[in-house]
Amino acid sequence: MNEMQRLVLPAALPANRPPRLANAWLAARLAWRQLRAERARLWTAIAGVMFACVLVFMQLGFRSALFDSATALPQAMHGELFLVNPMTTAMFKPEQFPRVRAFQTLADPDVAQAVPIYLSFATWRNPETGVRRTIELIGFDTETGAVAFPGLDNVIEALKRPDTIAFDRKSRPEFGNVPRLLAEGGPFEVQIADRRLQLVGLIEIGPSFGADGNAVMSETNFRRIISQRRASNTDLVALRLRSGADIPAVQARLRQLLPRDVAVVTYPELVAWERNYWENATPIGFIFMFGSLMGLVVGMVIVYQILFSDIASHIPEYATLKAMGYAHSYLRRAVMAAALLLAVLGFIPGILTSVGLYHVVAQATFLPLEMDLHRGVTVFGMIFAMCAGAGLLAVRKLRDANPADMF
Amino acid sequence: MTSPVWIRGLNYAYGEGELRRPVLRDVALEIHAGEIVLLTGPSGSGKTTLLTLVGALRAMQEGECQVLGQQLAGATEDQRVLLRRRIGFIFQQHNLLGFLTAQQNVAMSLELDPATTERERLERAGAMLAAVGLGDRLDATPARLSGGQRQRVAVARALAGNPGLILADEPTAALDRVSGQEVVHLLRDLARSRGVPILLVTHDPRILDIADRIIEMEDGRILPGSPLD
Ligand SMILES: Nc1ncnc2c1ncn2[C@@H]1O[C@H](COP(=O)(O)OP(=O)(O)OP(=O)(O)O)[C@@H](O)[C@H]1O
Ligand SMILES: [Mg+2]
Repeated sequence: MNEMQRLVLPAALPANRPPRLANAWLAARLAWRQLRAERARLWTAIAGVMFACVLVFMQLGFRSALFDSATALPQAMHGELFLVNPMTTAMFKPEQFPRVRAFQTLADPDVAQAVPIYLSFATWRNPETGVRRTIELIGFDTETGAVAFPGLDNVIEALKRPDTIAFDRKSRPEFGNVPRLLAEGGPFEVQIADRRLQLVGLIEIGPSFGADGNAVMSETNFRRIISQRRASNTDLVALRLRSGADIPAVQARLRQLLPRDVAVVTYPELVAWERNYWENATPIGFIFMFGSLMGLVVGMVIVYQILFSDIASHIPEYATLKAMGYAHSYLRRAVMAAALLLAVLGFIPGILTSVGLYHVVAQATFLPLEMDLHRGVTVFGMIFAMCAGAGLLAVRKLRDANPADMF
Repeated sequence: MTSPVWIRGLNYAYGEGELRRPVLRDVALEIHAGEIVLLTGPSGSGKTTLLTLVGALRAMQEGECQVLGQQLAGATEDQRVLLRRRIGFIFQQHNLLGFLTAQQNVAMSLELDPATTERERLERAGAMLAAVGLGDRLDATPARLSGGQRQRVAVARALAGNPGLILADEPTAALDRVSGQEVVHLLRDLARSRGVPILLVTHDPRILDIADRIIEMEDGRILPGSPLD
């Protein structure tokens, strides 16, 4: 008995397909046939969607590259807690605070190490052309392991010598082709802030919107270059805790212990602090959102125009379909299907073009532009919504298809 | 069994308030199974309006109108949509979808029935087109057919779904004399062989010969001389 039913069911299924599903498929097919028939219109629509798609991808790409690169410095920090001047808005313009705060934290039994980090800008002379540019200097006790720039391990010994620096290999090309010079002739002399220094190796940080290039050096060498600032002040302190320490508890204790001139933040809070500046305190985040929105609006208008004129030029045919017994909702579904088809057809070349452009732009600017699944899905969602919006607007035109006016 | 079309006391007016203009007054009409009824009359006498009411394309106002067993007085939009699927329409313009082939156009009238498969639909559409003499033009788009051929595709489309009633409004108006004759005779023969009743509005005196009965309208009324059933 059960055997019988199981045998019969699959055969019976096609005929009893849920009419809704079958209807949706037939409506989509009708939409596709109609789109396909007008090649010029179809290409215009695809180009419109693709344009919106590329624009949004570029805007989101730049935005996230900005935030990624802006937080490159805090992201390279190794430490569970950090001391920052509460008035610091971003790492490229830190407010100083007394270095003694670092040592005060050592009173807490769970704090193993307190590493002051010094940040400053100085002029760098391009070793190839002699042209001067502003470079960010990062000084700290390189042996503590509180900062983990790739390549740092190889230069720790060399950086102990007086007047030595390591250079960020991802600095913008305007700083000169330091990696090539280094490979050709070994360590060589460079000039920073009128001081002659030995360039002994390369590390990796990457340029940000705040700094085009970076150089790393020991605390002592930093003071020799930036001699005019007070040695008792620092810009950032990385704290390393004993393993197993309860980070929030230590954070709370340190807040009790230290005066109000320093903020005690965790690693994620430090990164978020930096990101927050770029996102909220500058118009940059807004500009990118606005750019994306403009792309979507333009795309929506194009898709709307195409769908609208497609409907407008088929009013008698649609009215005939209604007279034949097609419900209004069926035609609405066909229009929505056309909109969503355009979303897919425009998105595919759009994402491919964007991947190519990301590559080109990343090479030209050294900004970390990369396509990832999350952004792909997000943008597809936006494009889908854009086309659906255009479809919903265009659908209103279907009301003109009135079967009573057909005769 | 009741007749396919049964109308009593039908009134209809366009416009509201001051602008209200009655176009149908106390219309009574009955069409029997398999009967071919022609509706003629001067322009503006309300023929098209009557046809759209019978075809459930327009909501009723007053009176009774039963079509294929469905009472249209007070019928919902959904009920009217369902009824339209059982009626074959032929318009003055063919209104075929330009982006579909003749066969696909005819198959459109079958896609509303979820029980059919794509193959069945195309087969039936092909057979129907063969019946109107276009068996060799299945894949032609309307743009590549003559006016008479297009109207024959429209006839095939109206008949493909095995309708219980055919409604046609001046189907020959856009055609020359010869192709007009061809189309209505085809329509008559196909309807006869299936026993489908036809209500056809026309001004064309050359096609009156296909009628079982001719009804004349004037100023929204059916003329007293016309046979009502
Ligand atoms: N949608 C409408 N709104 C307002 N008035 C209308 C509408 N459709 C038709 N009428 C009017 O109703 C009257 C009857 O029109 P109808 O189209 O039914 O006449 P007809 O007999 O089909 O005419 P013809 O032979 O010219 O096609 C006419 O006076 C016409 O102007
Ligand atoms: Mg008329």
